[in-house]
Amino acid sequence: MRLVFFGSMFVINMLPAMLIILVFSVVGIASFTALLLFQDLSNWYQVLSSRYIWRLLNFSLWQALLSSTLSLLIAIPVTSALMHRRFKGRDFLLQLFSISLVVPTIVAILGIVVVYGRSGWVTGVSGVELPLYGLFGILLAHVFFNMPLAVRILIQAHGLIPAGQWRLSYQLGFSRWNLFRWVEWPYLRKALPGAFLLIFMLCFSSFAVVLTLGGGPKSSTLEVAIYQALRYEFDIAKASVLSLLQVFVCTLVAFLVYRFASVYQQDFSLKRLDSFPVKDSLKARCFDLCFLCLALLILLPPFIAILTPIFSPLFITTLWQENTWLALWVSIKIAFPSAVLSLVIAMAFVVMARACMDKPGWSWLPNKLEYMGGMILVLPSLVMATGLFLLLRNLGVAAFDLAYWVVVWVNAIMALPFVLRVILPTFYQQEKRYRKLYQSLGIRGVARFRLEWPMVRQAVAQACAYALLLSLGDMSVIALFGSQGLTSLPLYLFQLIGSYRIEQGACIAVILVLLCFVLFSLCSRVIGGKRNA
Amino acid sequence: MLNIDVRYQWFNQHGVDFEADYQAQLSPGLTTLLGASGEGKSTLLHLIGGFLQGSGCIQYLSQNLMTLAPYQRPVTTLFQSDNLFPQLSVWQNVGLGLATNLKLNPVQKKAVSWALERTQLTSMQAKKPEALSGGQAQRVAIARAIARAVVEQEEERKPILLLDEPFSALDPSLRAQMLMLVAELTQQLALTTLIVSHLPDEAKMVGGKLLLIEQGNVVLHDNVSILDQAENVPALTRYLNL
Repeated sequence: MRLVFFGSMFVINMLPAMLIILVFSVVGIASFTALLLFQDLSNWYQVLSSRYIWRLLNFSLWQALLSSTLSLLIAIPVTSALMHRRFKGRDFLLQLFSISLVVPTIVAILGIVVVYGRSGWVTGVSGVELPLYGLFGILLAHVFFNMPLAVRILIQAHGLIPAGQWRLSYQLGFSRWNLFRWVEWPYLRKALPGAFLLIFMLCFSSFAVVLTLGGGPKSSTLEVAIYQALRYEFDIAKASVLSLLQVFVCTLVAFLVYRFASVYQQDFSLKRLDSFPVKDSLKARCFDLCFLCLALLILLPPFIAILTPIFSPLFITTLWQENTWLALWVSIKIAFPSAVLSLVIAMAFVVMARACMDKPGWSWLPNKLEYMGGMILVLPSLVMATGLFLLLRNLGVAAFDLAYWVVVWVNAIMALPFVLRVILPTFYQQEKRYRKLYQSLGIRGVARFRLEWPMVRQAVAQACAYALLLSLGDMSVIALFGSQGLTSLPLYLFQLIGSYRIEQGACIAVILVLLCFVLFSLCSRVIGGKRNA
Repeated sequence: MLNIDVRYQWFNQHGVDFEADYQAQLSPGLTTLLGASGEGKSTLLHLIGGFLQGSGCIQYLSQNLMTLAPYQRPVTTLFQSDNLFPQLSVWQNVGLGLATNLKLNPVQKKAVSWALERTQLTSMQAKKPEALSGGQAQRVAIARAIARAVVEQEEERKPILLLDEPFSALDPSLRAQMLMLVAELTQQLALTTLIVSHLPDEAKMVGGKLLLIEQGNVVLHDNVSILDQAENVPALTRYLNL
């Protein structure tokens, strides 16, 4: 059986894909080994006995717990209100929820600083100065990012409620509250553990937010401590221990995520309308209105803050500065190769997986692949970059010479789970439906690709857009490896926020958002074809 | 007496695709709705139940139902499936029919117990629907319907029972049992019951009246016994392919 699988023709056909996967695996394993080599017991003892580490771990867990709880507490009533009410601006609100998932972290942070910062809008209007730097700011930013994510997950769970239950509730005349209690809550509840753990993990390994808004060692997380150990103290042993600690906690959480996270339907449309109107009351209306306003209040001001500089004269000045264009060039120089790399690796996996589909004994692989891709999220990008850094240093390469390629590589790997998630179902479907047809007609290789391309190009375009956006917005690997000649837009923006040049930062944020938008539409048009435009 | 004079239109991109126009007067008792699939049996049920909005008039005891929401109508509809909330127990599922917040007063509690007893579900009242068989699950739905039909306050009472092939997934002997239960309860509680069926034999078995729907029109409204002389009735010969 295995002999058939590794038949010579098969090996030749699969060689490119196998090589790519081999390189991917070897680099990954070698980086991790390099990380492990820096461990020794005394080191562990030293780190674990320091109170600093425990405080760090304590704060990381505590802020993650608060952030995820708050996000979910707001997301539950917001989801329910969004699914019940049909109002003008509902589509806009849903759009806002999706945009806040893809807007670069550092841009959103800037928006939050402009609104809530020391000389921000809130202070300007009310005169009250909010303690933005510290736990408050971290929570605010995390809720800004994760409440929309929670809403999206909960909307999916909400979509699983059978139409029959709405019909039945309508017949029985449920009030808004009883409808929530008897119908919605039992379904939403099932999605809560998975959503909670996912958001918890994201907040636990949050980097840019804590680095920018943490405001000092008192409110720092493991991820930031790794960065500081590497960037400022050059203490690789400490960074290595912290990295492993981070991976350990994240693996533990990820294990729980996969235990509890239920399987969701693919291709879920937000605009589906299958619910019947509820028996309404003034109280219910007020309640829904309150939470929708709260969501809007959290999401909208930072967005407006980001976009206002377009009208300021400083925007033109910033456009004329050389640094701006250098940063823009670096961003593009990183985003494109890493998106391509990510797609190439993902395609190698797809090709292998499809070849395994009808091979006895290997058919489990395709279904597990997306799962395995998701495990990459366990490895925070800083840890991955640290490993690669150590590996290259062990090999005698001066890592900072290769900083550019490290950034490109790690960005590509970080985008992989999202890319796989988008393209796998489409390619699998093609294989399942047409494999026999292609086989019987003897269509292989390039000929097959040309026939398949119109069917898969939309998914490829979407995957490519995701990969581009993720590397454009990256603020962790570049923070570690960035230097004078390697400053991307997010890093430049971070530096500007750090030196309190908020206005100029806002202009850079606008440029970054515009760049994201332009590249995203370009991707959809060029790769996705006219139909997608 | 339930007076039906209602129209409903389907649209396609060119305009009105098909119009149904139902006219009938139903007296209390059992009526079986017969007709080939796609002729508009379920549409009529949905119009009476309030799940579709048509034009015209549906009157029950001189009250016009057209302007009322489903939960305000004196109607309980039993669907083919999804009549129960899987997250609630049998008792709760029945209780919801009387008080949607499940805060039942002693009279309502007694009504729930009575309905469960009449449908032989008392021993299963604490179970969740997933622990029930298909027949038991539909009996719970019937229990809820009869609990709603005997409420003391007249404006809360739901004496019209609509069944949209709720037993089609059950095997023949069980289906017969369920239909007999519905027939018996209809008679004892003086309900106005409409059953959609695609089996003329079922109509014969439960007795009562028969309503034949053809292309969105009521083409025959008579006693079930007319099925015995089907060859003399043009509408029935078309339907039965005689």
